[in-house]
Amino acid sequence: MFFDLNVPVPSRLPASKKGKEKQAPPTFSAAEIETLEAKVDLLVHLGYTVIAFTQTVHKRVDSKTHSNTLNVILQRLKPRPGVVFLKRLTIILDEDSEKGFGLINANVSLFNGYDLIALVPTTHATLSLACLTHTLPSPLTAHIISLPLTLPRLPYHLKHTLIRTALKNGAVFEINYVGALGGDNDPLMVDADAAENGASAKRNWWASAREVVRVTKGKGLLVSSGVVSETDFRAPRDVGNLITILGLPQDAAHDASTRVPKSLVIRAETRKTYRAVLSEPTLVVPPAVSAQLESAMDVSDSPPTLSTESLKRPLDATAPPETTHSGDRSKKKKKKEKGTKN
Amino acid sequence: MVRFKNRWLLVELIPLPQTHTTSPVTSSISRPRTPANNNNLDGKTIWAALRQSVLTHFGDVGWGAVAPSLTIKYFSPTTSVAIIRVSREHHKIAWAALTLLSSIDGVRYIPHVVHLSGTIKHAQLAAIEHNRVVIARFRALSKSAPGTRDSYDAFLEKSGLEIEALQD
Repeated sequence: MFFDLNVPVPSRLPASKKGKEKQAPPTFSAAEIETLEAKVDLLVHLGYTVIAFTQTVHKRVDSKTHSNTLNVILQRLKPRPGVVFLKRLTIILDEDSEKGFGLINANVSLFNGYDLIALVPTTHATLSLACLTHTLPSPLTAHIISLPLTLPRLPYHLKHTLIRTALKNGAVFEINYVGALGGDNDPLMVDADAAENGASAKRNWWASAREVVRVTKGKGLLVSSGVVSETDFRAPRDVGNLITILGLPQDAAHDASTRVPKSLVIRAETRKTYRAVLSEPTLVVPPAVSAQLESAMDVSDSPPTLSTESLKRPLDATAPPETTHSGDRSKKKKKKEKGTKN
Repeated sequence: MVRFKNRWLLVELIPLPQTHTTSPVTSSISRPRTPANNNNLDGKTIWAALRQSVLTHFGDVGWGAVAPSLTIKYFSPTTSVAIIRVSREHHKIAWAALTLLSSIDGVRYIPHVVHLSGTIKHAQLAAIEHNRVVIARFRALSKSAPGTRDSYDAFLEKSGLEIEALQD
């Protein structure tokens, strides 16, 4: 199961900067949808099964003018069995975003429309913001930190302690392989000075990517495409081999497009829980069944097997009457993960 | 004991049409490529393109490491599949150069490494299997009833024999 977590979609900039009202939902022409379908065809042919479309925003997320373009696109793509589409929001941070860029509790409803949130820091202050504050578990966690690898000089020194805290909190650092091929980056990123196209971009990519691999020591590295023109797509094993050239051992390189994104996607779902706490599942037995269980337990010593299946601890004789209470007593802090998922 | 070891790469070169609206995959897999619409690809042009790619990305050092053992052992124009042999120590350089290759003779391709093996036997088996998958895809797209005999059978046999005939 191979993941490609960065497929940029054509962007729709807000029509006028002065307009503060919500824009009409963006429309995409049939030709654009066709090119997207072609890209997805190619990705599936190369072996990718989980694809995340990226909407990029520059500087800040303005709740008044922001609209989720991915929902519009996903409705128009034909459904494919065995392929999962995800939605991702990438926010490019620069000096103007240092004071705040909209990743606040008031805008949670906006962010719940996306499965993954990524940040592209371009200054040292935004890097520390991203690594330290925004990786803490919350409904606004940005799980992906994407470094601008094609810039002539990585704008900040990658401090080992910063990176380590981010990794401990569960974030991943992303490498987009489009830079290695010298392909075109997302035009919005190029405009925002977070990426460059051209011959020198390749050299910068190799230098910065090697640095990222060195500082993260191969843990928490995610590899994704970031490809705009479909000629730059590559199969996952080919990409894994490219990453080994950067100094990463072979298993870590393979993990970067399989195990790491898989855990990331599951971890990103915890944005829906309270601070990523998943409680131990407790069995809530309906009264009729619990009466049967009690009578059964009078007969035998050992606890009945059917109720122990879903518990980590074996059910002892006092548990059934208590489980019906725990539903009432539910501490506000813990939400059952299964309940919120559905 | 100090045997010279090789790696055999089975590569599918997916050509990309110049117009961007039609999917490269559907247009390249819907019909087998005849020499007419194949942009005269052959083993020599691939070798030249690969050499250029190694030189640009890994320099003379890289080319020196890979060159003595780099051979294009097999190439099929109909399915655009090539079998490349490299020495085991430096196969990653050759593989990376292959991945970074984006165009041959001005036509853009996506190199897709289907299989990597240490012996020619397994490369042959993988190539035959890949051919069968490709033919099955053609047939599914042309929606003919299963069991109909068509020219693909002859192709499968011929290519099977060619592949089996490969020597180290």
